[in-house]
Amino acid sequence: MTLIMVVDDDQDLAEMLGIVLNGAGFEVDLVSRGDEVMDLFRAQSPDLVLLDVMLPGMTGIEVCRDIRAESMVPIVMLTAKGDTHDVVLGLEAGADDYMVKPFNPSELVARIKTRLRRQISESAGGLKIGDIAIDQLAHSIMREGKVIPLTRLEFDLLVALAKEPGRVFTREALLNEVWGYRHATDTRLVNVHVQRLRSKVEQDPENPELIVTVRGVGYKAGVPGTKEQ
Amino acid sequence: MISQKRPWRSSLVWRVTGNSVLLSLGIIWLVGSALFSQISTGIFEEKLANSISDSQSSIRSIQVQLAVAQFQNDAGIRKIVDQMISVASISGNTAGREVALLHFPVVRPVKNNYERTSNLLSTKSIPEAFRTKVRTSTGLQWSRTKITFLGGEKVNGIAVGGIVEIPNSGTYELYFLYGLTSQENTLTLIRNALWFTGLALIFLIGLVTWLVIRQVVIPVREAAEIAEQLSAGDLGRRMEVHGENEIARLGISFNEMALSMQQQISRLENLSRLQQRFVSDVSHELRTPLTTIRMASEVIYASRGSFTTKVSRSAELLIAQIDRFERLLADLLEVSRFDAEAAVMVVEPIDIVQLLRRTVDYLHPSRERIINIFSDEEIILVDADTRRIERIFRNLITNAIDHCEDKPVDITIVESEDAVAVGVRDYGVGFQEKDSHRLFDRFWRADPARARIRGGTGLGLSIALEDAKLHHGTLEAWGRLRRGAHFVLTIPKVAGIEMATHPISVVPDSELSTIVNPEDSEEI
Repeated sequence: MTLIMVVDDDQDLAEMLGIVLNGAGFEVDLVSRGDEVMDLFRAQSPDLVLLDVMLPGMTGIEVCRDIRAESMVPIVMLTAKGDTHDVVLGLEAGADDYMVKPFNPSELVARIKTRLRRQISESAGGLKIGDIAIDQLAHSIMREGKVIPLTRLEFDLLVALAKEPGRVFTREALLNEVWGYRHATDTRLVNVHVQRLRSKVEQDPENPELIVTVRGVGYKAGVPGTKEQ
Repeated sequence: MISQKRPWRSSLVWRVTGNSVLLSLGIIWLVGSALFSQISTGIFEEKLANSISDSQSSIRSIQVQLAVAQFQNDAGIRKIVDQMISVASISGNTAGREVALLHFPVVRPVKNNYERTSNLLSTKSIPEAFRTKVRTSTGLQWSRTKITFLGGEKVNGIAVGGIVEIPNSGTYELYFLYGLTSQENTLTLIRNALWFTGLALIFLIGLVTWLVIRQVVIPVREAAEIAEQLSAGDLGRRMEVHGENEIARLGISFNEMALSMQQQISRLENLSRLQQRFVSDVSHELRTPLTTIRMASEVIYASRGSFTTKVSRSAELLIAQIDRFERLLADLLEVSRFDAEAAVMVVEPIDIVQLLRRTVDYLHPSRERIINIFSDEEIILVDADTRRIERIFRNLITNAIDHCEDKPVDITIVESEDAVAVGVRDYGVGFQEKDSHRLFDRFWRADPARARIRGGTGLGLSIALEDAKLHHGTLEAWGRLRRGAHFVLTIPKVAGIEMATHPISVVPDSELSTIVNPEDSEEI
């Protein structure tokens, strides 16, 4: 059974989250302090972490950074502040997605399911983007025989772009395809993750060649060696 | 800042120094010239007086000698004349005296001509005009001249002339020529000394002015630089104060001003921070329980089938009101963020046509037939905050749909060089002209008695206006009762640039002919 770790200091909200997630068919671990997360995380190795930003003991952003240091597990931040600053901090610390309170529970479940979904495409063979080989079965990417570790979300983002090399993806299309948003124009989410992905796969993240920005529209898979505007 | 390229224009020190150098140059020139001309006149006059008295005594003694020699023969007289010339040219208290003895001009040559000059003196040294003057007068005459020697050498000098009678020969003119070489040398020396003193004075005056002005200007310049830093936001900067003079007073009052400014600003900053903090805390404190309520109500709602009708309806009402409460909370927080000036823009290039289409699709998938979008361009790129622009669209379109009475809603999007405008026009209930400026007030309703339509928060237009202002744009409204309303959003294409054009007029074209009052087009 899929195990979800819920980290929130508000007991009632945590319990309510447990009820909703149990109802959706997940097993739930509740943690109420930031500094207790890592021990339990190592012991239980959950499939996904729901992480509140404001936590006693240790902030959610620090916890997020610690988890990311040793695991590629999907992390969804829960924040009471829709302000740019908090959200961007969380995303930069390695969160895959975030939900602003008060959120719709069915939306939460949908996002969690998207994050847990294993993308197995029909032609599950090898994809390529530039000099990077993507193995969809093994869920890994390699450059010159060396594996580059990616989170599942980063992998999905790269695959989405690589699958249709000519297509320009709007940020909304990516949100729909990769994050499972039905309607959203949260460009921060896409921008931050594209930056993170670039920092891992690009030879020179300042002059990206694999994931190219199309000004005013979005992103597309680039062909290295050709300078595109 | 002091420009290094044009120190003359931008630096007081250089200008004042330059001016004082120029002025003192003029003064020293005048004084020097006057002094020099006085000295040279004095020297010349002394020499002249000497020369005249010297000539006088010489002529007198020569006349006496000649008078005594009147009984001598030619050879005797010639001997006297020779002696006279040679004595005259070496004696006398003035060195460099030359002598010329010239016969009155006559038609035929006279016998016993004793014409004679000393050394190699040329007779050209004595101008003809001067000779005439000497001949026609009885006393001594003088004139400036150029003493010319047979070798061609010329020296400035003074010629003094008188008349002597030589026995058995006739009347002669006797000239004494005094060279001015030594006087000229003296004058050259004096002139050089004056030049040197003048130039040295000018340099010193320039230097002193520069030093003095710097003393005054440096604190002023320092004050200017510190003022610049203050206005750039570095509120901790202060002037250094030395002594008790005027500059020190400037420094003290400057620092007092800076201090009180800093206190005011930090007081306001504190207030603003407190407000932001409060908004943020309220946000967090309200949102967490609301999330729990929301989830609980969803769980209850999901199993409403097993409830009695009353309980099931209650669950429906609960969830609808929680939705409304959520929207209201979100809008209130947004409004207080605007009030605290804590609203943050995330500007990026976006295609506003696509954003508009998407917003319409999302808001009213079933009402697409009512909403018409008119756009000349497929893509219009602007620098804007997607979330805010989308919120403006959502507010305007929702507002139009709520009031359109099922008549079509026309959305026009037009760009100009520097701006893009979106007009949302409905032909529904509209509003009274006098209300056009109150539309954007918080919680304002055209008809308080009328039931609220779709559970709007009453803050939508107010927030839309704030969002437009944040983009340095405008949001205008036009309306007539029963004829509909027209809202026009205009934002600059490039963030932060002032717009010169408004591509869409807020008064709809179809209504232009009906304008009675020019205030119709008044901006909100």
